[in-house]
Amino acid sequence: MDTLELCLREGIASNDFADPREELGCAADADDREVARALVRLVAASDLEQIGTQSISPEAAQHPSVRPPTAVAADPSFLGRLSASGTDGLSVECIEDLPTILAVLRAGSWRQRRAALERLRERLRDRRLLHNDAVRKAIQTITELRDVELGQELAQARAELPGAQGRQARHEHDQWKRLAQRVESAIQVFWDGQSNVEPIQRLPGDQRALLLMRVSELPDVVAHHISAIIEGNDGWVPFDSRIGLISSLRYATDPRLVPALISVVEAERGELVARAARVLGGIDDARIHPALAERFERSFVNEERVALAGALGMHGDCRGLGEVRGSLEETQPQLLLQSLEAMESLGSSENTDLVVRFLGHSDAAIAIQAARTAARIGDGRALDELTEMHDSTPVPALRAAIEDALSAIAARMELRGEEAVTIDWSEVGNKPALRKGARDSLPIIVFGWRDYFMGRMWLLLGRTTWANARFESAAARRNDWAVPLIGIGMAFARREQYALALPAFRRAIEVDRPRIERNPILVRAMAKSFLHRAEQVEREGREDVARGLVGEVLTLDLRRAPGTVRFELKRKHDVLRREEHDDVHSAA
Amino acid sequence: MSTRLRDIAVRHLRSLGATSAEGAVRRLTMDIEVEGRVEMVTLGLRDDELQCVSSDGRSDGAHVMAALKFIAGRERRDDSSPPNTVTSSAGQSREQVPPNELADALDDLLTAVTRVGVDKAQYAPSVDAALERVIRVAPQPTPSGLGRFIGRLQQEIRSGEHRRVARILDGAARLAEALRVNEPTPDSEQRLEAWLGTRAGSLAKAELLYDRTMIEIGREWLSGTERASVERRYLIDIRSGSIYREDRPRNATASLGPCPRQLRVGLAEVEAGPTPQRIRVLQYEVQPDVPQGSWDRVEQVASRNFAKVTDGYRQSVRAHPSLSEPFALIAPYRIECNGIFKAFDADGRQLLLNRSERRGAVLAFYDLLAEGAQPSWVAGRLTDTGATVCLSPFALGTRDRAYTRL
Repeated sequence: MDTLELCLREGIASNDFADPREELGCAADADDREVARALVRLVAASDLEQIGTQSISPEAAQHPSVRPPTAVAADPSFLGRLSASGTDGLSVECIEDLPTILAVLRAGSWRQRRAALERLRERLRDRRLLHNDAVRKAIQTITELRDVELGQELAQARAELPGAQGRQARHEHDQWKRLAQRVESAIQVFWDGQSNVEPIQRLPGDQRALLLMRVSELPDVVAHHISAIIEGNDGWVPFDSRIGLISSLRYATDPRLVPALISVVEAERGELVARAARVLGGIDDARIHPALAERFERSFVNEERVALAGALGMHGDCRGLGEVRGSLEETQPQLLLQSLEAMESLGSSENTDLVVRFLGHSDAAIAIQAARTAARIGDGRALDELTEMHDSTPVPALRAAIEDALSAIAARMELRGEEAVTIDWSEVGNKPALRKGARDSLPIIVFGWRDYFMGRMWLLLGRTTWANARFESAAARRNDWAVPLIGIGMAFARREQYALALPAFRRAIEVDRPRIERNPILVRAMAKSFLHRAEQVEREGREDVARGLVGEVLTLDLRRAPGTVRFELKRKHDVLRREEHDDVHSAA
Repeated sequence: MSTRLRDIAVRHLRSLGATSAEGAVRRLTMDIEVEGRVEMVTLGLRDDELQCVSSDGRSDGAHVMAALKFIAGRERRDDSSPPNTVTSSAGQSREQVPPNELADALDDLLTAVTRVGVDKAQYAPSVDAALERVIRVAPQPTPSGLGRFIGRLQQEIRSGEHRRVARILDGAARLAEALRVNEPTPDSEQRLEAWLGTRAGSLAKAELLYDRTMIEIGREWLSGTERASVERRYLIDIRSGSIYREDRPRNATASLGPCPRQLRVGLAEVEAGPTPQRIRVLQYEVQPDVPQGSWDRVEQVASRNFAKVTDGYRQSVRAHPSLSEPFALIAPYRIECNGIFKAFDADGRQLLLNRSERRGAVLAFYDLLAEGAQPSWVAGRLTDTGATVCLSPFALGTRDRAYTRL
């Protein structure tokens, strides 16, 4: 049998070791077809006889642990060696020093920041420490953090805080619970066949983002329903909405979704694979790395490869670095945003020059992403370019991204033990706009406020038209006075008349942008108005208008807007950009 | 229905249908008597496909078969062959059998692989050409069984597992024989149906299932003529413990819902063929949250005797060497995990995990064990490595968590 197996492996045509005809007992002139049949039949029969008769060697059955290959030298600094979990060695879970935890929270990778936040929560559970200065600073940091990536962890941490912040977070959690219950019942109705409307798809964008932000707290039935949509087994959701749902899960960390996402990575193509890979990049699960690596090795679509490279980078596998670097060097317009995003996980100080080159890109989205990537790389050499760009750019969102990047780089340098950099915020921060022209006279101010309060009163009485007339009158009395315009915008936004709210907000932004950007309530109402209006016009098929609205609001500093709204705006922007590229391609 | 009979009937009808000065035959109608009952059988070509039906409404009944045999006999006489050779299939040499392109293509593929050798077959142009020929001459679109054979063969050639390649090619050789059979037997019909799908007039009968409760415990994408061309779902009947597979070709529909899910099946068809048997769920209700009671039933119907599991695997592979991909649900009596996971039954027989496939799932399984999970049942596809029957894990249940999909 060994000789026959050798014949099968080496081939019967040019086998120098044995004569298959002789071994099989065939005639010397038997044709190859006959010999092949006999050979295969005998080897197969022998194999079948052996099934179940042997025991596998222990070596062959051992735990198949894998270590992802890495194309670049691992970062030997404190932050580079800091693992997100585990009690052995250098781990976030072992850090006791609060300032170090806070620095990791600003400068670490996504996993490290999640772990740092969890560590902070543990420390804050000890109520005896609450009066400590360092702990007060930690509470302040948690309150001020506006990181979309950490949405769920932040919400959980805030809910445990004492005082108004904690109460508000718990109230928001209650709202989320009610939303989740509503969706759960609607899902039951959907699968019972009583409704043909998919309930998650029907939700407004910010509500969907809110629901999915805490996906790991959702009951199994909702998680399974989401898996069905991801896999395309719901029978209803169209392709674009499926992509939309997967991108809404961008920062989800729920392992229940892993099989469905892996199935997409294994079986689908293009955009779906890229989106699913990005979600998988952030989830800690043993199933993910083999699936991503296998797909990366056989994929030939650039869009997929860049996303897969980034996701592998998040799992510590830098095999795609060369490819991502190459696409940035070649400045492929369709891949720029994705490549910069992938560089967040793959990049090292070797890539700083390449990344900061894009800070001055004409497309604000790309420039903002370059600032974010520079923040994650954390190389001090980028500080000068960032500061320079901060002072010269007219785009508030880019300035905000640069401010965050400067803070993250400073924290990273501190953790690496490099020379501590103190950012002079008086130089780089938002400077108050200079007032132009003469100040209004006292009677004008008085009449202006009178009209404004009258407007407020009419609003209280439900007379919107009269209220708006008063607000308009107040705005007309004084130059550069945004308060009445904000009143009009808020009045329409509360009544969900977003098309009417937008002109008022636009005028208010023109007059006094920082007032809106710095006020969480105003910036939330303004951002939601733009988002909901974009959804309305998109439903009407006017995607260009929707793209314009989302692009417009994303140029503003939205750091004080709720994370879910910011996330949904960015997601929608990405989707609409993709459609724009598709349109250009189809037109070409 | 025999492919050979159908081919002959199609050829005969085409020749009769060719327009000539005397006119063209579009449809043949015959009165056929079988067992004292006379039925009218109509044969015709529509869109170049054979349509045959008898007056009792059946397209695969004895009357239709008799009509086809009559046509086959006529054609042989038209070809001036001796009339008595029609029924004698035994001892017939290959040269006497009318050429069957698919059978020849399969033979060529087998010959191409063995000529060049399994070690070099992956990059051999002759093997690629032979595979392309098989796809070209096969019915279009490529039937799922044949597609799966091609996917498995390519996969095993890539992995260099020459014994499994031999096994898969042996299955192809058996199909080629079945394609050349003059008198179809239930076995050859079943083989043809497993490879080429259900055809009109087929002798093989689908079993009908009514009012069953099934749970989907795993799904995977499998390669065919292309990568990931079939999504296979594994369904377990919680009353009988039978395991079925539901195959959904890419861009086609099957039953809806996530994995896991509970299906209340009103009506389903089950094909005879390689295990797990293929099911077509025709009427069903979906429940995305599986009740705890159903998970308890899954544990109850899980196999506790690993010797039976191994025997079942061996029989299944012996019957369908190319297409058999058995799936098992086991409830270990005890487990060991000192670096290697071993599941034992009450008699001390062991079952191991296959670590060469579904690597991520195996890693996740070990992670769960490291976290202290004690599997009460494990579901997975059975394979063999080094003559040892192994399990590629798909799902497990523990005391703390009724179901975890891997």
